[in-house]
Amino acid sequence: MIKFENVSVLYPGTAEPALKDLSIHFNQGEFVCVLGKSGAGKSTFIRCINGLQPVSEGTVKWNDKSLSEMSPKENLEVRRKTGMIFQHFNLIPRMSVVQNILTGLFGYKKSYENLLGLFNSNERMSALEAIDQVELTVEPTRRVENLSGGQKQRVAIARALIQNPKVFLGDEPVASLDPGTAERIFHLLKETHLKRNLVSIINVHDVGLAKKFATRIIALKKGKLIFDGAPEKFDEKVYAETYNQ
Amino acid sequence: MVWFKKRQFFVFLIIAVLAAYSMRLTEFDLSKFQDFENMGDFLSKWFPMNTESLPFLFTESVLTISIAFLGSLFGLIIALPLSFLAARNTSGHRLIFAATRFYLSFLRSVPEFVFGLILLTTLGLGPFPAVIAIVLHNIGVLGKLISELIEAADKGPMEAMSAVGAKRWIGNLFAILPQIWPNVLSQFFYRFEVAIRTSLILGLIGGGGIGQQLFIHFKTFQYQLVSVDVLLIMIMVILVDYIGGKIREKVI
Repeated sequence: MIKFENVSVLYPGTAEPALKDLSIHFNQGEFVCVLGKSGAGKSTFIRCINGLQPVSEGTVKWNDKSLSEMSPKENLEVRRKTGMIFQHFNLIPRMSVVQNILTGLFGYKKSYENLLGLFNSNERMSALEAIDQVELTVEPTRRVENLSGGQKQRVAIARALIQNPKVFLGDEPVASLDPGTAERIFHLLKETHLKRNLVSIINVHDVGLAKKFATRIIALKKGKLIFDGAPEKFDEKVYAETYNQ
Repeated sequence: MVWFKKRQFFVFLIIAVLAAYSMRLTEFDLSKFQDFENMGDFLSKWFPMNTESLPFLFTESVLTISIAFLGSLFGLIIALPLSFLAARNTSGHRLIFAATRFYLSFLRSVPEFVFGLILLTTLGLGPFPAVIAIVLHNIGVLGKLISELIEAADKGPMEAMSAVGAKRWIGNLFAILPQIWPNVLSQFFYRFEVAIRTSLILGLIGGGGIGQQLFIHFKTFQYQLVSVDVLLIMIMVILVDYIGGKIREKVI
């Protein structure tokens, strides 16, 4: 479904590419965890999938069609189909839980409808259902800055769910959370993944979580793919190779 | 001398030299305050206040507030979209950014008084040219201040809006405006306060309001009315500051 073909990314003003000649593909139903040290290229990799980060060389393909050859409309479609969650949640401050979740529909609606907040009853109902799905027990009208880290990430997941995604991307979604909350968020991600038969690709620092939840692990080092396999094959030797200098 | 570096002494020296030079140019001389009694004599003529014209002066004060309010409100309404074009991270193109910044700098560099004088030739005397003069200058000031707030806004929500497939301008608006809104309100109320003082100056060129009355009362030596004018001006400024603070508290 998603294919990287010889993808390299070089940021302006840097000598070393963030991703080097990366070729990999992902299929429906896979729950992939991406491991690697800070600066290994994990965030760049995740952002290339939905085109937030343009590639310098190579192509990223969705169903055999290259992102760079897609029309703006098709690119928009890719983003709509991709639910993305972030380390710092990236919620809109001073807006309520339900308002934040409804922004997940922005890609589906006309500009004036977004501007004026014209959401029909089905859409509002979907937002409330998303709150239920992520087991968020706060008032939907509560402002997001008053929530805990775990609650904020649940709002971010609900925002992604309302997009009705086919792909779920996570850029270190549990890095700012305590271990207990991190595990609960991973449970939620896996449950949602299974219910909706998604492709989920998630950056994570915690190898334990990756081994527990992933169906496949990939590891990056200095922008290169150094491991791609089943979680049980990610042994101490690979661990050392991934995290040591 | 752990806290200071040699370079800081050099900077301090430059500032001291500049201050001394400016004092010479401006004939800055505190010994001149020995004629302090003159001021006392002058101020004693302001009292007792002549409150007979209070209802009329109150109406003129309301006119001044209206000039300042419209000048700031319309300034903000026009400056807000322009500030997105004048911010590096949202302008979309370097040329748009440069052109908008230049336009805002131009508006800011022309004082309201000058705009007022120019507008008199078309609009005649009265409060309307005063409103337009304040609007034009405020577009320049608020546009720059808000564009700087936009540039400093957290990029995270913008990235999230891109990720959900929102159009760029909608994403920028929703991701940035809620973040900067309390500071935008602060700037608005500060400019409102400044506009009250500006509209007093514009009263000198026939802009109407309490400023024009203050000018007339001074010119005709009616100091007991001057004191009423000054009191009303002080009340207006304090009121705007108080209401602005309360609204900002609510918004935060």
